[in-house]
Amino acid sequence: MEDRTDGRNANQLRPLGCSRTILNRAHGSARWSQGNTIVLAAVYGPKAGTKKGENPEKASFEVIWKPKTGQIGKQEREYEMILKRTLQSICLVNVHPNTTTSVIVQVVGDDGSLLPCAINASCAALVDAGIPMKHLAVSISCGLMEEGSIILDLTKSEEEKLKAFAYLVFPNSPLSVIDKVHSSKEEPIEHGIITSVSYGAMPVSGYFDCLERGRAASAAISEFLRRSLQKQSSEDASRAAQ
Amino acid sequence: MDVDTRNMTPTNLIDKIVVPGDVVLDLTKMENQTIKLGSGLRQDCDCISVLQAGKLRLSKPNKYWVESSQKRYVPSLEDTVLGIVVEHRSDNFLVDIKAPNLAFLPVLAFEGGTRRNIPKFETGTLIYARVVKANGIMNPELSCTDASGKAAEFGQLKNGYMFETSTGLARMLLSSPTCPVLEALGKKISFETAVGFNGRVWVNASSPDDVILVSNAIMRSEFLSGTQQRIMAEKLLQRLEKV
Repeated sequence: MEDRTDGRNANQLRPLGCSRTILNRAHGSARWSQGNTIVLAAVYGPKAGTKKGENPEKASFEVIWKPKTGQIGKQEREYEMILKRTLQSICLVNVHPNTTTSVIVQVVGDDGSLLPCAINASCAALVDAGIPMKHLAVSISCGLMEEGSIILDLTKSEEEKLKAFAYLVFPNSPLSVIDKVHSSKEEPIEHGIITSVSYGAMPVSGYFDCLERGRAASAAISEFLRRSLQKQSSEDASRAAQ
Repeated sequence: MDVDTRNMTPTNLIDKIVVPGDVVLDLTKMENQTIKLGSGLRQDCDCISVLQAGKLRLSKPNKYWVESSQKRYVPSLEDTVLGIVVEHRSDNFLVDIKAPNLAFLPVLAFEGGTRRNIPKFETGTLIYARVVKANGIMNPELSCTDASGKAAEFGQLKNGYMFETSTGLARMLLSSPTCPVLEALGKKISFETAVGFNGRVWVNASSPDDVILVSNAIMRSEFLSGTQQRIMAEKLLQRLEKV
């Protein structure tokens, strides 16, 4: 197995960081970092009224992507569309019809896996704002190497060198009081997939390998997100006492 | 990793922090029982799952809800809220209560309200009112009278200072027995407060120093325990007496 530039092995993720409620005025906010890729997400809403083309019987989402430098172009619009579709599928849109929730994503650092980092940050910000959701979304990038092996959580240099890679978004693994043995005839929820964006050409077997590895790694990210959501409430107590 | 979650019983998730997607009750195991679901939970075919992250609570015998604290408010019936008038239409005031929709306050919903003595509220007036209609779909409706039609402290709040908090802090201030910070402050300062379930607090006292002290004490007390709140309030009071 080739050595990756930063010394990680194929399945190792970069150190994850998540902090919530960092912006005073936003209704929900979160900052998510994966190594040097850092994204700040803010959620405002729900606010009354929907935009012109949207269905007024459902809540609608509006995503604004702010790059670190440069003007807003097609790449940003593409990210906005992917993020909007992903968030729409995890949130319950029938609870607050005829409202708009705005999600603003600000890129603070970009070292590869930018879209997965932004999806994770937006999901944490939506939880912080109390928007009703069906489940959480956990996102990861997987790259296919020349000889067919998979590496996870790509850096920018790895993305540029690889022939093909994919960004995948899975539902999180929920805690359940239902005995899983009884409901084993249904597939567990974490076997689903919410979003998949692939770049480059890869064989079908390679893509399915990516899915498998990505799903396994998403359990670790899902556990990290759960712990950071649980830790936040006890941290608030110590922070406010200062 | 999967084996741990298989044998969880419902009591294991009560008073624990849950995230959206967690399944907290299995309805196939509970037959002929009525359970009441509060905020943050929904029924998904045969199980009850979580909508918002927070602490799962159970009030015996059968009421379940998720306790969470947000900056925005979801209107519910019979809550008392503080609203700010945004517009005056012919038969309602449009009032902002930090909810997804603007609330309507009918022009006649005051004690002894008739077409001849409609109150003149300008944009920006602070109102203490009660929610009389709240479903997710329509604009919520408010009223400045209690159930029997009397004014009962509802209406415009004049003077004083209003600040915004989270819904969690507002619920703590309104809990009974009296919140420790309010009790500690009330022993030395005389002040009046109005707390809205929607995360707005209004404080009025005879001098501006007292208003500032009470407001700061309340804002700082969100994550403190009872004893810590009393200690914090006493420190602030000592500072005022020294000056």
